[in-house]
Amino acid sequence: MGRPKAWLPWFGRSMVEHVVDCLLPVVDDVVVVTSDEVSLPPLPARIVHDRDPGLGPLAGIRQGLEAARGDRAFVTSVDAPHLTKDHVRALLDVGGAAAPFVDDHVQVLSAIYPCAAWKQAEALLAEGVRRPLRLLESLGYEAVESARMRDPGAWEGFNTPGEYLEAVRRVEPDAVAHVEFLGRAARKIDTQRVDVPVGTLGEVLARVSGTSFLMESNRVSKGYLVSIGGRELVRDLEIPIGPGEAVSVIDALAGG
Amino acid sequence: MKGFHGCYWRFDLGLGRGERIPIDDSVLERTLGGVGLGAWLLHREAPIGVDPLAPEAPLIFSFSPLVGTPLTTSAKFAVVAKSPLTGGISDALSSSHFAIAGKRLGVDAIVLVGACAEPSELVDGSLRPSTNWGRSAEETAKSLAAFGRVAAIGVAGENQVRFAGISADGRHAGRGGLGAVMGSKRLKAIAIRGDVETAVYDPARVDRLARALRERAASESTAKYRELGTVGNLLSFDRLGVLPTRNFQQSHFDRAEELSAERFHETRAHQRTSCASCTIGCEHRFAYGTSTSTRAASSSASSQDASPTAANAPAPTRVEYESLFALGPLCGIGDPDVVLAASRRCDELGIDTISAGATLAFAMECRARGLLTDGPRFDDPDSFLGWLDDIGHRRGLGDRLAEGSLRLARSVGGASIDFAPQVKGLELPGYEPRSLQTMALGFAVGVRGADHNRSGAYEADFSDEVDRFHGDAHSSRFAVESEDRAALLDSLILCKFVRGALEDLYADSAALLHAVTGHPFDGDDLRRIAASIVDLRKAYNIREGWQPALDTLPARFLDEPLETGPARGARLPRERLEAMIARYNVLRGWSREGWIPVSRLEGLFEDLDLRDDWFARVSVPGRDASKLGMKVDGRVREASDR
Repeated sequence: MGRPKAWLPWFGRSMVEHVVDCLLPVVDDVVVVTSDEVSLPPLPARIVHDRDPGLGPLAGIRQGLEAARGDRAFVTSVDAPHLTKDHVRALLDVGGAAAPFVDDHVQVLSAIYPCAAWKQAEALLAEGVRRPLRLLESLGYEAVESARMRDPGAWEGFNTPGEYLEAVRRVEPDAVAHVEFLGRAARKIDTQRVDVPVGTLGEVLARVSGTSFLMESNRVSKGYLVSIGGRELVRDLEIPIGPGEAVSVIDALAGG
Repeated sequence: MKGFHGCYWRFDLGLGRGERIPIDDSVLERTLGGVGLGAWLLHREAPIGVDPLAPEAPLIFSFSPLVGTPLTTSAKFAVVAKSPLTGGISDALSSSHFAIAGKRLGVDAIVLVGACAEPSELVDGSLRPSTNWGRSAEETAKSLAAFGRVAAIGVAGENQVRFAGISADGRHAGRGGLGAVMGSKRLKAIAIRGDVETAVYDPARVDRLARALRERAASESTAKYRELGTVGNLLSFDRLGVLPTRNFQQSHFDRAEELSAERFHETRAHQRTSCASCTIGCEHRFAYGTSTSTRAASSSASSQDASPTAANAPAPTRVEYESLFALGPLCGIGDPDVVLAASRRCDELGIDTISAGATLAFAMECRARGLLTDGPRFDDPDSFLGWLDDIGHRRGLGDRLAEGSLRLARSVGGASIDFAPQVKGLELPGYEPRSLQTMALGFAVGVRGADHNRSGAYEADFSDEVDRFHGDAHSSRFAVESEDRAALLDSLILCKFVRGALEDLYADSAALLHAVTGHPFDGDDLRRIAASIVDLRKAYNIREGWQPALDTLPARFLDEPLETGPARGARLPRERLEAMIARYNVLRGWSREGWIPVSRLEGLFEDLDLRDDWFARVSVPGRDASKLGMKVDGRVREASDR
């Protein structure tokens, strides 16, 4: 993706805020498992740090289940743009461990796990197991066919800029990003602000006339840097720019 | 060795006479000039533990081998002393013809010791009573122009404001209170001129290298500085959530656009000028002076200059990002006329804009919290210039403000020290540490205190090479490399704005130095020398009582996340900073706590006579000499590298 999924915008919020907001009405307690490497926005949730981020999602699930209060937990990845509370309720109604089964795939990161299963997860990790499906299998989970789900697609994530942008356009075909040119860039193109359709960074910049000097092959030109939402500083023109996102083109030589 | 004169002029202001003292080539090879040579001279000339404002404390003007050559930006000098603000080394740079004139005296440095019996000026090598006491540095320089190039202090220096600077050609050696040191010596100004040529090893090659550097420095690498100046930072910093606002309570400012270079260039009369021997021309001057606030502020002030009014508008004033941020967003001031007038007023008074703005901003927060019953308030342009005047003249509360934020916090008490914006007593420049965590490390370990000149660690943060919200081992490496580069540039001396014009800083600098001096420097030599200069500066602070606990940031930055703006949620946990510092120290070849092993120290003091004194000093009771690897009971122990 080239960007932390948690911070990708989703119509006025970051993706992690969107997911937490979806969960809050239907669960008693939200736990966000994150690595030390990723900072997060302030969230109405408990934050726990993944002790073993190198061990993949099973280690994160172990950490989250151990921290969670209650009998069962809905586990989701942060890239869940279409997640709904109905989807979560439907899975909770199944009882016990449960996961959507779609196109011959078990959606292990949109599933219900007993909180006590963190011990089994730990045992599996000790055996060198990394796949969450093994945990679900050891729990005798119920595979829920898509036909039984109220919100088909609620479990869908994304792994590429194209998939993310497709998810955005599915909700808002005319979604735009806000581009601001500062410093020398503003003087060169005589424009300070403009709204353009979402796309990759390269597509977004190319939609403003006279900006070719900002791009060299797949990178932002040496003298410039792009800030996204005031957080990330990027040069990769392939990364996605989401709805409502503020893109600032600044001089690379920041500082005194 | 060519490029140097091999001596410094030591002038005793108490006795009224000076002498030339030789410097061995080996010292010049290892310290180069500028901050390197200045640090060495400070070790040599400053009595251990001296009060920075005592007559015995030296004030050093240090030149460098490149001064006087046609190399662009080379007309710079360093002023070095023990800082009355931090108690450690302070070495501030200034660009001006004073550097060229100083070199033409036939010396590599001027060291002033002692104190004058009355306010005086050092003119043509002799002291005379000052006729300029009470005037600005600019006015003083004009009155002494017939006697050569002038470095002078303003009223704030006379009053020993702890963040007063020294001015030359309108440029300021601003940080750390060097003007207070000069004021404590009752020396208003020094005017110098000479006709001694500096021999250059290969003039033709120097000319060729100078031409090539000029061409590269006229390229895209410096375009930002030429077209916008450093004020171009402000709006970008606002958008990135790194613009310190209202004493670092926020990191973005709702009136940033009004203070932006983009707006200034659109709406204000503008001039662009250059320092001496500079072909970049980064100095941007903007017209100001027609707002109601400025008139109100000026009419309540006691400056002897005429109040700026629409009918009698002052000349455009030079402004840099650091002045703009410190006198604007940091104090909640969004009126550009007031901020520009304040910058000008600081120059007239002779005070460091960063420390002035930050100390005022700190007092503003103290007042907002009820810790001060009187004093400046955020978002109050009408009284702002008056407070600057009160600082410069040490009037009323201004007398306490003139001590800087650390001492003010100590007198205010309570938890105010937690949000006093300083490191080791030096106020933070305009970079929010929580959202620029490599720079946060640079601030914490800075020998001068919170310092963006001797560490450009922000460069890593403003790139896609580090996560600026999460400092780590990479930050430590960048911080070391940045300090080393700065140590070299500040000793050569070349302006940091040419850094982008040098393909390989060390190799290119070695070529320049070789052509000027004839000594066969290479890039690796300069890497070692740069690191050694960092050691030398740190060693001075150790000598004067540095302890590892001083390498940190105020509690605000470690305990409070940023709550609003683009950087909301940014936090810098204490343990993360400590891990970065430990890593930084190890990368430097020091102990994890930051003590310098004796194996490195011995090289530093090879040419100094005071090694035994130095060792004696750090092994006094209360210091753990074994950690320092200092001489204990007649033996030198190796430092333990934990």
